[in-house]
Amino acid sequence: MKPVVIADYVRSPFTFASKGELKGVRPDDLGSQTVRGLLDRCDIDPQDIEDLILGCAFPEAEQGLNVARMIGLMADLPLSVGGTTVNRFCGSSMQAIHMAAGAIQMNAGEAFICAGIESMSRVPMLGYNPLPNPDLYEHKPQAYIAMGQTAENLATNYQIARAEQDDFSVASHKKAAAAQAAGRLADEIIPIKTPDGVVAADGCIRADSSAETLGTLRPAFDENGSVTAGSSSPLTDGASATLICTEDYAGKNGLSPLARIKSISIAGCRPEIMGIGPVGATKKAAKRAGIDINDIDVIELNEAFAAQALACIRDLDLDMGKINLDGGAIALGHPLGATGARITGKVASILKREGAKTALATQCIGGGQGIATILEAV
Amino acid sequence: MREIQKVAVIGAGVMGAGIAAHIANAGVEVVLLDIVPKDAEDRRVIAKGAVQKLLKTDPAPLMHPRNAKRIQPGNIEDDIALLGDCDWIVEAVIENLEIKQDLYRKVDAARKPGSIISSNTSTIPLSALVEGLPTGFQSDFLITHFFNPPRYMRLVEIIEGADTRPEAGRVARDFCDKRLGKSVVTSNDTPGFIANRIGTFWLQASVVEAMDAGLSVEEADSVIGRPMGIPKTGVFGLLDLVGLDLMPHVLDSLRTALPSSDPFQDVYRKPELIEKMIADGYTGRKGKGGFYRLNTSGGGRVKEAINLQTGAYAKAVRPGLASVAASKKGSIKALVSHSDKGGVYAWKVMSKTLAYAASLVPEIADDIVAVDEAMRLGYNWKFGPFEMIDKLGAAWFADHLAADGMAVPDFLRQVGSGSFYRVQNGALQYQTVDGTYSNVLRPDGVLLLEDIRLRSKPIAKNMSASLWDVGDGVVVLEFQSKLNSINPMILSMIRKAIDIGEKDYKALVIYNEGSNFSVGANIGFLVVPSMLKLSGVVGWMVGQGQKAYQALKFAPFPVVAAPSGMALGGGCEVLLHSDAVQAHAETYAGLVEVGVGVIPGWGGCKELLLRWAGDTKTPRGPMPPVIKAFETISMAKVAKSAAEARSLRFLSADDGITMNRDRLLADAKARALALVDGYAPPEPKEIQLPGLSAKVAMQMAVGDFRKQGLATQHDAVVSGELSTVLSGGDTDLTETVIESKLLELERTTFKRLAMKAGTLARIRHMLSTGKPLRN
Repeated sequence: MKPVVIADYVRSPFTFASKGELKGVRPDDLGSQTVRGLLDRCDIDPQDIEDLILGCAFPEAEQGLNVARMIGLMADLPLSVGGTTVNRFCGSSMQAIHMAAGAIQMNAGEAFICAGIESMSRVPMLGYNPLPNPDLYEHKPQAYIAMGQTAENLATNYQIARAEQDDFSVASHKKAAAAQAAGRLADEIIPIKTPDGVVAADGCIRADSSAETLGTLRPAFDENGSVTAGSSSPLTDGASATLICTEDYAGKNGLSPLARIKSISIAGCRPEIMGIGPVGATKKAAKRAGIDINDIDVIELNEAFAAQALACIRDLDLDMGKINLDGGAIALGHPLGATGARITGKVASILKREGAKTALATQCIGGGQGIATILEAV
Repeated sequence: MREIQKVAVIGAGVMGAGIAAHIANAGVEVVLLDIVPKDAEDRRVIAKGAVQKLLKTDPAPLMHPRNAKRIQPGNIEDDIALLGDCDWIVEAVIENLEIKQDLYRKVDAARKPGSIISSNTSTIPLSALVEGLPTGFQSDFLITHFFNPPRYMRLVEIIEGADTRPEAGRVARDFCDKRLGKSVVTSNDTPGFIANRIGTFWLQASVVEAMDAGLSVEEADSVIGRPMGIPKTGVFGLLDLVGLDLMPHVLDSLRTALPSSDPFQDVYRKPELIEKMIADGYTGRKGKGGFYRLNTSGGGRVKEAINLQTGAYAKAVRPGLASVAASKKGSIKALVSHSDKGGVYAWKVMSKTLAYAASLVPEIADDIVAVDEAMRLGYNWKFGPFEMIDKLGAAWFADHLAADGMAVPDFLRQVGSGSFYRVQNGALQYQTVDGTYSNVLRPDGVLLLEDIRLRSKPIAKNMSASLWDVGDGVVVLEFQSKLNSINPMILSMIRKAIDIGEKDYKALVIYNEGSNFSVGANIGFLVVPSMLKLSGVVGWMVGQGQKAYQALKFAPFPVVAAPSGMALGGGCEVLLHSDAVQAHAETYAGLVEVGVGVIPGWGGCKELLLRWAGDTKTPRGPMPPVIKAFETISMAKVAKSAAEARSLRFLSADDGITMNRDRLLADAKARALALVDGYAPPEPKEIQLPGLSAKVAMQMAVGDFRKQGLATQHDAVVSGELSTVLSGGDTDLTETVIESKLLELERTTFKRLAMKAGTLARIRHMLSTGKPLRN
């Protein structure tokens, strides 16, 4: 196996869909500025890049027409660099990283940009033309279950109380606010030019979040349920990008990689509890890496919903102190296609920052899947 | 070029902000300035806060949220230079002469020459406001007195000073009339002008007499309310709305300004009870409550009324006064002649008020027309004081005043056995102060059926609708049923309009002067067929409507709908089937059929689908038009203005909006005539719809709504049927659906729904309570 590293990671600011400062920015513009920002940070010859692999959960309209290629052209990548758009819903841009790692093993390239975009302002969730298959809906309606309902199912199955979800969400905001105050988020953010000026900071974090305020919210998905808008990740606009290359290439070009990719995995699960997806995927990846889950030092576990994250933490018996050190998606936002590269890049940078040995990035995926990546120090 | 292109409003209180909002509604840029609060971090915080508040206020001062962007907030210290390119500057600051004059000097230094300045004062005379100010300022200055809330109250009183240049008055009038849609009434520079002079007297007389006669607030409001064509809030309900704490200021200011001989001094009083209520925070709806309050203790919602003698609250009771019952047959005269306490009270209040009004012409206004208009539009009275006197009979009224030992005003005496108004040669005339009659003149561009009715007979007429020749080859179809609900007689008149129109006319305008264009189909007709499960009858009824509406759509000449007020259900479907709409800005359109458990059945589903599909802004693919139509119809979305109706596609982008209600018919007629040359009826359309998979997508959405507690069981049933129609039934993505297939889907679906118990329950509930049933 060729050692593959995450050489660098950046992202755009994440802001609320439909009301945030990036709502007026086309997702391809957002993606191209982010990709350009990554390249401007890495002193490499862009001709060396094999492909731009870009994750997007609803690749249509302004995110359609193989938007990865369009973004490559917009970002002035050399014409020789390819572009492919991949869709694994929320796991799309982690999948992009996995594909690059796989291609490298096949000697099909040395360096890749693995990125993700989602403008949930400009392309609605489910897309503009949701046309479910009537037969599938009749026989397996859970195939199309609403995401919030899957969180409710986990909250019920795992008996995760409202208060526990709210506390988890407040903690996410506090960690994110602290990271923001300490400049740990600005490090990874590429400021984005918009018609109304430059946007350089995240827009979803609420430093003053409290259990009291969250406690007043009505359930968002089930009137008798416990999952609220406050304990769910918000609809978000954002983009992320990573440089994935061989360790050899990084060395030759004077890059100082964040982490090495140790193992990857995908695991399916029941669609109606899709949020538990990280459990199967993490177990598989740990086994492939030959490590015990307890030995992982830092973890990014995507917070689609507090109930979902808590269920995974309980099943995997994870140490809360290792998870989402700079806040998770409940605070930062969850631009579907961009999240995978964010959490993988993020945990790689935390691994390096904390001088840790092993890291895990994992997330759940609508339709019933989990995806995981295990990293180790270079 | 428009004479007023940019406006400034100074004072971002309720009135100032409301005026600014309405100027923005007219599509005009407006600067809103207020003071810099002490130690403010953001020096524009007051005006900015006012704009934010506008977006949250209900009823909305803005006709569309995006209108807020036309309001530029600022402060009078840093932003006074912004006045330099404003053509009209409205002052709406605190009623303090010194503060106003100080501000005027600042404004005068910053404004451009020839700009118009006006005050929204309600208590300070114009002569005092301009005293000592430069002559240039005086000649550009007038009073424009708006009523609260400025968007909804149609009256603006304009008062010009001795030195106001006539051109300033003309420009301000023209802007208020055509752009802001107001009826401008010219008042003299006298205390309280017209409406508040009479209105305050009336309110005060009503309170005092009720207290003296021992009437309850419910009794008083049942008398001085509906039976007189006065809003049902009556007197005490109105005071709750206005704010009890405002009244002492208004009363004191009138008391000081008016001579000791003025009859107002006799009704002036500050009852101890009201003083105490204000002190205790019972200032009305904005406070803890007023004469009425909603008691929510114990989880209930009980409307309570105060006892005027003891000050204690008790559950409000519906009074059953014989005089009020008598007024239903015999109108105002029967009420004031009745011998029960309600009749006695009505006479006491109205005799004083009407006599007072009659004594004030020409002091406050040159003619009675201005006075009546001011009371109709400033206080929402159905009839002005002189119209009310005519209803009583001027001679009868004078005799009864004399019999009660009250002074008979000279003007009333002069009318003698005649009347204040009369119709002569098809024209409405009023009596002038010199005893002759003059025609009631309408401004250019005002065309009213009310006037046409006096001078001509309808071309055709039945119990529920008429056809009128309004000149230039245009025929008007007028609905006249209860609430203008659509029934078989209206449908037959639609067919007749098209037959007659084809032979003798160039264009058809659908218009009426009711409060509402139409509240929709008369659902009472559905009860019996639904109970007896006569689905064939329902299908036939729906089919008749479809035929009439299709005839409108494909008529061989232009059809223009001109709605004002509510245009719901079948009323909204009229708009959807017209070639063009000229809508009054205050048009409230919606397809609300789901509220009674059915779907739009006269082509509404079809037309809304076609509109979204034909809209270039709709995202591509087969679903977006379906989703848009589904969201709009399944949630019974009602546009709260013509501008919002455009966003919801009940109006199309090139449909016109008229701000002034009185100008609607003339605008609609012009619009229809503009379509005549080279007119060709629309071609039937085809649409590609996704069929079953779209229905599944909508079902999923409804399922989520059910879980969230946002949709009831029967909502799901109705939405399910709606999704069948909107998805195109059994069609496939590769096929096209023609209009008649969509109509057939509407018909069969409507029939199925009408046979359901849940739908029948909704219809019955709506008929008996006027509110939708959540079942």
